[in-house]
Order: sequence, then structure tokens, then C-alpha cells
Amino acid sequence: MIRNFKILFSLSIIAVLFLTSCQKTEPKETADTLNIVATTTMLADLSGIIGGEHVTVNGLMGPGIDPHLYQASAGDVTLMQNADVVVYNGLHLEGKMGEIFESLTDRGRTVICIEDGLNEEDLLSWENDTSIHDPHIWFDVSLWKDAAKTVADKLSAADPPHGEDYANNLEEYLVELDDLDTYIKDKVNEIPKEQRVLITAHDAFNYFGRAYGFEVKGLQGISTDAEAGTADVSSLAGFITERKIKAIFVESSVPPKTIEALQAAVKAKGFDVSIGGELYSDSLGGKDSGAETYILTVRANIDTIVKALK
Amino acid sequence: MSPQFEIQLIAVIVAVACSLPGVFLVLRKMSMMSDSITHTILLGIVLAFFLTHDLSSPFLILGAALIGLATVWLTETLNRTKLLSEDAAIGIVFPFLFSIAIILITRYAGSVHLDTDSVLLGELAFAPFNRMVVFGYDIGAKAIYSTLALLIINLAFIITFFKELKVVTFDPMLAAVLGFSPALIHYGLMMLVSMTTVGAFEAVGSVLVVAFMIGPPVTAYLLTDNLKHMLILSAMIGAVNGILGFYLAVFFDVSISGSMAVMTGLVFFIVFITAPRRGLVSSLKRRSRQKLDFSKKTLLFHLYNHEGSDEEAQEAGVHTLANHFHWDKAFTDKIIRLLLKEENIVLEAEVIKLTDKGRTVSISEYKALFSD
Repeated sequence: MIRNFKILFSLSIIAVLFLTSCQKTEPKETADTLNIVATTTMLADLSGIIGGEHVTVNGLMGPGIDPHLYQASAGDVTLMQNADVVVYNGLHLEGKMGEIFESLTDRGRTVICIEDGLNEEDLLSWENDTSIHDPHIWFDVSLWKDAAKTVADKLSAADPPHGEDYANNLEEYLVELDDLDTYIKDKVNEIPKEQRVLITAHDAFNYFGRAYGFEVKGLQGISTDAEAGTADVSSLAGFITERKIKAIFVESSVPPKTIEALQAAVKAKGFDVSIGGELYSDSLGGKDSGAETYILTVRANIDTIVKALK
Repeated sequence: MSPQFEIQLIAVIVAVACSLPGVFLVLRKMSMMSDSITHTILLGIVLAFFLTHDLSSPFLILGAALIGLATVWLTETLNRTKLLSEDAAIGIVFPFLFSIAIILITRYAGSVHLDTDSVLLGELAFAPFNRMVVFGYDIGAKAIYSTLALLIINLAFIITFFKELKVVTFDPMLAAVLGFSPALIHYGLMMLVSMTTVGAFEAVGSVLVVAFMIGPPVTAYLLTDNLKHMLILSAMIGAVNGILGFYLAVFFDVSISGSMAVMTGLVFFIVFITAPRRGLVSSLKRRSRQKLDFSKKTLLFHLYNHEGSDEEAQEAGVHTLANHFHWDKAFTDKIIRLLLKEENIVLEAEVIKLTDKGRTVSISEYKALFSD
């Protein structure tokens, strides 16, 4: 028995040594471009647009992924290791990961935190507590313009020779964002004022609602960990029936179950509310979805909303 | 040190640190304690948040650790009443505390990103990027030091109280008679479990804590009955699972902690099937050997019984035998073949006869089975 142990023990030591020795260490340098790692798909898109040809962007969270349920893969470690620039949202969207990104500055990396470029008075806060904010800033185009400026500033600081290009890219993008803003406002005007109510599974659209005059109701709280209470479902169903809201919406990163339950609850109260379609909430659309970029995603969302509520 | 190497190092340290108290959890049938703690700490985080209103306050971790202790204390106290079993005690305390946390979040903090992830990192892949910097020098990932501290505390406790733990685990009555309180050792051990769970959660995440704490000890239990061997073996199995899991993750480019947990399961199933004495294969083999053995004896007794009687040709005919014993033809032939080979029987005109050797064997076996 003891002999077996010795053999087993030495075998496992050998296995450990062998396995640890054959790891790859060569850092992947893409010729002369900045390696950017961005957390969400929105930020990956933004970094790519501002950085243009001078950057290689890799996103950590894929399309359709709920940031709370994000699990890093082995490849993500290599990405982080080789990153020159890290872009993240902040406002606790990335949870504890945010603090780690922050500490990367000490290791000679450029860290871009979108939160830093926003005015605190533009942020929605938790009840009366002004120190805790809603992190879903991306569906308010004016806030997204701030985010674009932050990215451009920090990229120019990190890579001064190409500063002019970044500034130009920013100029062009800001024009496109202004067009998008106008597009949304025109579209929203097609909906009668009293029908401008957006009901979704979790509270990802508060900034959107504030910017474009929608009343926003979410079934669950901001954190997708919390669950909808029965009273929440019932009172929301009452609200829908009373206001004769035409449609409620499913989100790409949250399972549609709760919204379907809400629809059933409304039906029980004798009113028919349709499911207006799927909105992109915590991520952009995937490949070939027709909503691969931020602008396309916002357009897709507003088209879905307007079509259902008109 | 590259991040890849640090991840493996952290995984190995955590695996060893978790498997030590895990062995006692498994032996005491409280395996799910670690799962329970990884959930109930949410309540500690929520309560501490209501006090501090700050998501990055260290008090949130303290709150988590305190609720971990409360979970352990409540479960242990319920368990000690003997009114319900260990698993039932866990089954009551865990959902109770966890649900309070969920209700509090839904009711009072619906618009805050309040979950375990916002306080505990719980993502092994990012652990190497959380650096320990002392006087301006980077001396490695923080998680290496925090988990090493856990490992040392666990080792120290188990080495110091090894005898006591052994007695308390296997014979609490004897422990009480010998004059030291089993309760004290239990609570000490459970504190260790709580501390290890919260500490390891920060480094590797909840699923992996449970996998590392339970998987290796259960696997080791299939291989040995000796407590000391079981401790050493589970530490080694845990470490190997961690490293193999890492390479699985690299190969498929998937979640690192997920792959380590999968590897823990795979290694368990491999051992479960192939373990020398308790494995599925060896117990199937043993069972079929016992069946053959029993059938051979049955036939020998039967032959001895009818030897020389009038109906011998009928009772011991090669062709009538299968029908007689309700054995199928192939099985009967196999038994006869085996006995012929052992020279216990011979065939005379299609009738089976005992040899002298066969007669001696059947008499002695009969005595061995039915005397006194």
C-alpha cells in the first residue's frame, strides 16, 4: 500500500512538472496596433470605431450574454495578458472585475473606464442614495457620446502619434450618433404619448426612457439575480390593463419566461397584451443578426418598440 | 510568473486547502455544507450593504464570513438535537437564509447590482490580474497568498487535532467518554469549512469550491479506508484535477473553473469504475465469481446427495441437469466444464459422477458452510 502511494505520488509530481512546463508563453504582438480588450459588446464596437486601423479589439463577453453570468474562458486570460488597453463600463456593471481592471493601470496598461467620463448628475441613482448608480448607460445616445469622447481621449493619450486619427474618427462617429438620436426622436413621435410605456424583464432601459420620454417598467430589479415577486407581476398586469398598453418586450440576455408569465397575468385580467419582440439589452446582436454594431442595435430596438406600440 | 502558471498554482493550493476539511465533511455525511455556505453568504453581503451603502466596502466580505459561520452554527445546532439528520439540517438552513437574502434584495435593493459577484471575485481566470504589491514590488497574485494562508491554517488545525478529529468523526461517544467535547471539535472543523469556503470563493468561484471540497475526498474514499491516506490522496487528486482541468479549458477555450469542476467529475467516474476493490468493474467481477462459486458448490452437493441412489441417472444426467436447476444450457455447460477441469467430476455415459477428489471437496465445503 505505502509503495503504491510512493509510486502514485511521484507519478503525479512528474505529471505536474510536465504539464506546467509545456505552457505557451509567447506574447502575441499584432504588428504595431494597440491590443484593446473591452468587456461588453457595445464597448468592443465603440473601441473599434474610434481606434480604426490602429487597434485590434477583442471583446470578453459575447453577444447575448448576461454580464452577470459571464464566465471567463482560458483564451480570455491570454487576451488580458496581451492587452495594451482595457475598456470597461464601470458603475459596478462588471462587479468585482472592475476593481481588477482599475489596478491594471499600475502595471503599465491604459485602462479606460467609461464611468470616469460621465457627469454624476447625468446618472440615475438608487432611490435616494446618490453613490450607487444604474450602470446601463448605453441606450441614451447622449451618454454614449460621452463614452465615445472618453475612449478617444484616452486612446490619444496612450498613443499620441495617432491622436489625430482618433480625433477624426470621433468627429465622424459623433455625427453618426447625432443622426441616430434624431432618428430615434422621429420614430418615437409616431407613438401616441400615452402609449410611450416600455415594459421589459429587467431594468436595463431606464436611461433610454429618460432620454426619449418613455415610462419604463421592469419586472425584475437591475441585478438579474433577483427574481420577480408575485405582487410585482400582479400590479404590473393591473397597470397594463388600465393603460391598455399594446405590447411588452423580451430581452436578448434574459430568459423570456417572466415576460410570458406577465402576459398570462394580463390575460387573466381580461386584456390582451402582445409580446412586441426581442430587444437587445445587455449586449449587441450576434453575427448576421443585422444588429452587429451599436447603431444598428439601437435602430433595431427602436424599430421593434415603435412597430409594437404604434 | 505568467498568468497561466499562476492560475494553476492557485488552483492547486485551493484544491489542497479545500480537500482537507472536505474529507471530514464527506465522512460526516455533510458534503453539501460547502454548497450551503456559498449561497447563504449572499445574506451577509446584503445585510452589510444595508449598513454601509457601499458596494466596495470590506465589511461586505466580513458580513459574508459571519453569515458563513452562522450557517455552520445553525446547521450544527439543529443536527445536534438528533431530531433530524445532517442532510436535512443543511436542507433547512440553506434555503432559509438564502431566501431571506433574495427577498431583501427584491424588496429593498431592486435597482442595485447586488449579488455575490459584486463582492467576491469568484473568477479564477482574473485572479492573476489582482496583484499583491508590497513596498512597490509586485510579488504575485493576491489569491496565491490568501489561499496559501487558508491552506496553512487548515493543515495546522488538522495536524494538531488529528487524533481528536479521528475519534470524533468515527466514534463521538468514545470521544465524549475520553473527556473532550466532540462539539468543540465539530464547531472548530465547521469554522474551518466556513472560512475555507468564503476564502476560496473569492479566488475560484462557488462551483469550484464545492467541486474541490467534495470531489477529491469522495474519489479518495473509493481507494482507501485509512484516514491519513484519504487526506493525502484527496489533496493529490484535487491538485491533479485542477491542472488537468486547466489544460482542458485551454484546449477547448472554455471556462477555466468550469473545466476543473468537469475534470473532478470525470476523475471520480473513472475511479468509480476502475477502483481496485470498490470500483464498479471489480465488484461486478467479484459478483460473477461468487455466482460461479455458488453454482459449482450447489452442483457438487447435489451430486453427493444423489450418489448411488436409484434416480441418479435422472438427477445427474448431463441433459436433464439444466432443466432440473432452472439454469440455462450455456451456464450449465460452463459449470460442468469448470468442474471437469478441476477434476471434481467425470462423465460416464452422459451421467455426471463425483471423483474421489470431488467427494472430498463437497464434504469439506458442506461442513464449512453448515457445521455449527
